[in-house]
Amino acid sequence: MGPRTEASGRGRRSSPDAAFELWLKRGLHEIYDQVAQEPVPQALLDLIQQDATAKKS
Amino acid sequence: MRDQMAPNVMDQMGATDPGTPFHTLMVEALPGLRQQAFALTRNRADADDLVQAAVTNALAAQHSFTPGTNFKAWMSRILRNRFLSDMRRRRETVEVDEAPAEAFARAASQEDSIALQELRHALAKLPADQRLALMMVTVQGLSYEEVSAQLGVAVGTLKCRVFRARKQLQAMLLGDAPAERRQVEAIRKGASPQASSRRMVESDRRIGAG
Repeated sequence: MGPRTEASGRGRRSSPDAAFELWLKRGLHEIYDQVAQEPVPQALLDLIQQDATAKKS
Repeated sequence: MRDQMAPNVMDQMGATDPGTPFHTLMVEALPGLRQQAFALTRNRADADDLVQAAVTNALAAQHSFTPGTNFKAWMSRILRNRFLSDMRRRRETVEVDEAPAEAFARAASQEDSIALQELRHALAKLPADQRLALMMVTVQGLSYEEVSAQLGVAVGTLKCRVFRARKQLQAMLLGDAPAERRQVEAIRKGASPQASSRRMVESDRRIGAG
């Protein structure tokens, strides 16, 4: 994976920008999707659960 | 910057079912909040600490949340405010902007390509607010209006942040800065690198003076 630009520079002016945009979007997804897919730390869930239980009682 | 969007409009956008329990809303919001925290802090451990602190704050202030309004917006603002107050506190002893980019890159797995590692390093150099806006629009797929509602920042400001973030990343990763482009062009036409650099400096000075 890597940003690609047109070597000739004769293509439409937006082509390298569009290629970079696409590459950037994929890269950002790779970086940040990992974070969202990881299990939430149990300590954090416990903190919320304890508060919920305390509010009910 | 909430001045450009009335609070009642922001709260209606992304409104949640008033019947959904507060704690259920919070658990559902966690994955997105963790992404936002990572975008702000550049560091997985700090991101987890930030989310925990924001959750603690939110639990303590849950009476101030109005059921049926935008819960994610409410939580995002708590998270961002907590980040900013932590930054201010830390600046008293450490210049945060000098935090090594390795802190962000440290999260890189061994499977990361070189290009992805370069992207991590470049992202680490962006201002936190630009990184956050870019992530929310590009990764979380939110519209500018939704991000505006979540962060309480004007749409125009967000568009500017995302545009600048993209352009800076492009310049860092492709060496696509205008000055560099002019230098490459000048060298291709036969000028020595030193001469073309001198001319560019003089040209930029004239533009700056004008």
